[in-house]
Amino acid sequence: MTKILLVEDNEMNRDMLSRRLARNGFEVIIAVNGQEGVDLALSEKPALILMDMSLPVLDGWEATRQVKANPETAAIPVIALTAHAMASDREQAMAAGCDDFDTKPVELPRLLEKIKTRLGLPG
Amino acid sequence: MTEDEWVSEATLLRATLENMSQGVAMYDARHRLVTWNQLFRDYLDMPEEFLGTEHTFSDYIRYLGARGEFGEVDIETALAQRLAQLEKPHRFERTRPDGTILEVRRDPVPGGGFIAIYTDITERKLAEMKLREDEEQLRAIDVAAPIGLVIVGVADKVVRHSNGCFGRLIGRDAGTLVGCALRDLFADSARGQELADILATPSSERQEFNLPHSDGSTICTMVSHEHLDFRGTPAVIATFVDISDRVRMEQQLREAKEAAESASRVKSAFLANMSHELRTPLNAIIGYSEILSEDAADAGDTALVADLDKIQAAGKHLLGLINDILDLSKIEAGRMDVYLEQVFLTRMVEEVKTIVGPMMQKNGNCFVVDCPVEIGTLRTDVTKLKQSLINLLSNAAKFTKDGTVTLRIARETLADGAGAVRFDVSDSGIGMSEEQMGRLFQAFTQADSSTTRNFGGTGLGLTITKHFAAMLGGTISVASEPGKGSTFTIELPVEARVAGAQMDEDEIVDPGAPAAPGAITVLVVDDDPAVHDVLTATLGKEGYVLRHARDGVEALNIMRKEPPDIVTLDVMMPKIDGWSVLGIMKSEPALAHIPVIMLTIVDDRNLGYSLGASEYMTKPIDRQRLIALIHKFAPGNEDGVVLVVDDNEQVRAIMRSTIEGVGLPVAEVANGEEALAWLGAHPLPALVLLDLMMPVMDGFAFLTRVRAEPAYAELPIVVLTAKELTEDEREFLACNTLLILNKGAQPIGSLGAALGTIASHGH
Repeated sequence: MTKILLVEDNEMNRDMLSRRLARNGFEVIIAVNGQEGVDLALSEKPALILMDMSLPVLDGWEATRQVKANPETAAIPVIALTAHAMASDREQAMAAGCDDFDTKPVELPRLLEKIKTRLGLPG
Repeated sequence: MTEDEWVSEATLLRATLENMSQGVAMYDARHRLVTWNQLFRDYLDMPEEFLGTEHTFSDYIRYLGARGEFGEVDIETALAQRLAQLEKPHRFERTRPDGTILEVRRDPVPGGGFIAIYTDITERKLAEMKLREDEEQLRAIDVAAPIGLVIVGVADKVVRHSNGCFGRLIGRDAGTLVGCALRDLFADSARGQELADILATPSSERQEFNLPHSDGSTICTMVSHEHLDFRGTPAVIATFVDISDRVRMEQQLREAKEAAESASRVKSAFLANMSHELRTPLNAIIGYSEILSEDAADAGDTALVADLDKIQAAGKHLLGLINDILDLSKIEAGRMDVYLEQVFLTRMVEEVKTIVGPMMQKNGNCFVVDCPVEIGTLRTDVTKLKQSLINLLSNAAKFTKDGTVTLRIARETLADGAGAVRFDVSDSGIGMSEEQMGRLFQAFTQADSSTTRNFGGTGLGLTITKHFAAMLGGTISVASEPGKGSTFTIELPVEARVAGAQMDEDEIVDPGAPAAPGAITVLVVDDDPAVHDVLTATLGKEGYVLRHARDGVEALNIMRKEPPDIVTLDVMMPKIDGWSVLGIMKSEPALAHIPVIMLTIVDDRNLGYSLGASEYMTKPIDRQRLIALIHKFAPGNEDGVVLVVDDNEQVRAIMRSTIEGVGLPVAEVANGEEALAWLGAHPLPALVLLDLMMPVMDGFAFLTRVRAEPAYAELPIVVLTAKELTEDEREFLACNTLLILNKGAQPIGSLGAALGTIASHGH
């Protein structure tokens, strides 16, 4: 089963998204802050990371930078999730090394499509 | 007396009489006119037949009376009066019907008879009257004017004149003020001296003066003064206008304004908080109803699915409403910020397409985009432009079924010659009547109240769009006919010039406008628009000012006109290639020193370096490396220390790696006190990066201490904080620091090069 790391501090968002991803056939592992996200990325080597940007301890931008800076995790695609639907947020996420970007509240079909594109799965 | 002598005597008398400037008439004892002169006849218009001894004085009076010479009086009474007066010398004044005023003097002569002398005193009388009227007028003004007026001798500073109003202003009887010295005018002689000082200055602008009143209060007045001669001695006339009502009103207005502003601030803060508070539970409602709906679908419970979908749809509708209302509140509170940046239109259109595509499909509409590839850029707020277009397009999609929606973008020139970009959103939908169009842009009204029922929406989208267009210096208009579809048009200037607009937080310097002094300009020379796009995003964010050239010729023209600090140069370009540009640059003294970074697909480093390129990078562009290179070649990058003051070790570590990443040395301390100690022991750092919330001594206390020291007055300090700042704190920081950065708002790591730029330039 394809393993996805969800880095999200909001409990409800985490619960909803992880359940829905699981329903769509993904194995979901959870990190509740940026540091945990970086650590789990390294230890679990997920196929893809969904990264919230406003995170405690280490924010999503910095966590992404660290993931991308480590050769062991650099190849893992990171999709940024942020509540601010601002173009500058997108650019910042991209500048931090994120591979794609989606806004919250999550629209599952759109997000699934992005995930599948990144993973090269059939749509 | 001989007859000759008598004749000569009479001639002499006649000559004398005729040369007098008065009218003369002599009457004998029987009151017959015996002698007269021409002026007498002229003054009284006496007919020829009356002159001579045939008539008496009484005849004349009766005749003159009948002619109306004495006005509406009984003639016999007037005559009796005159006859009674004749016994004694007397004089009186008489105004004739033609307005001339005569002074009449009658003197009895010895042996009976009398002499009457008439003098024309009209002019003298008029002058006297005029003077009297002027005086009365002046007195009336002096008494009635609501202006305190006082005349003071220059030499002795003693009051020469005061009007009633001045007396009332200071609570004293104006009559008692004359002769009073200025310093004795008020209970406090210092105030009198103060007024004397004002009056001693040359006449000048009005100024405020608080007049002390005898009851202890003061009256705010506007005093002005003029130097003049008063009764032969130099004096000053001072006027006092009571402005206490105005001052009171201003004070009230100020207080009302402050109250309103504070209420508005509270409201804005409330809205900002509420937006998050409202959206968070709503996200849960929408999300969980989606999950339940999926569960129900799996279980085959279609009735439940339909209900859950209604919850979901209502939740989404509410979310849209909240977003719109918050936007509108922000706009109305003047809190909607405009961030100007260079927007690549083709890229923006792609993003818009992605978002509105599903809406178009839903109603079976065909979406056509008509936008020339070479449309280029527009300096505006991309978020607002995008939201405006999405608003118009989603409306078009909503009101059109199985039709066509077109987005057409074109450059145009406005009437005043300014460049603009025109966005037309046309649909083949239901259209609108004139009356519906009239109500279109008003908040909370849609073309028809049934519209909401049939088509949904908040009715705020167009209002917001209209506000946005205005905020970006543009306009929105609509043309429509019922049944024939509608076209909404937004026109935006190529260069939005918006009052109070802010730069994009990342885009410290405007890439299109003239560079601010000290800003580093990078000329990007490339025929591929995508490269300009990427570099604008990457370098603009780092604080560099970008110039753009699409080919070598244009590049050289720009360089010769305004030499950039750094050039990035592509090799394969139309007209003349990058190698030629590089060669020409190095042969021109004005351009030879400019560092050139080759940015190309052609991997021929040796040729590049041999032609004088400073660096060589192959595409695809490694953005981090490019930033580091640009920074390396930016002028004036002497390596000053950046002092990081933060109690959080992790933050310090991140800052260190970020700042060192752009090649600057870092020193770390954990609070304000340590920072002061460090400053005392080291040369001035290039930059202090200051956290606010720290133990021992916080950032505010540090700033207060450091700014009190003249040696540190110019020390560049940038605040990096997660604290929600109050208005007062923000103001204090704005006065004492270069920049306030929000820890949450951007990744710390992205600040590095920008901070490096500040550190090396101290601006």
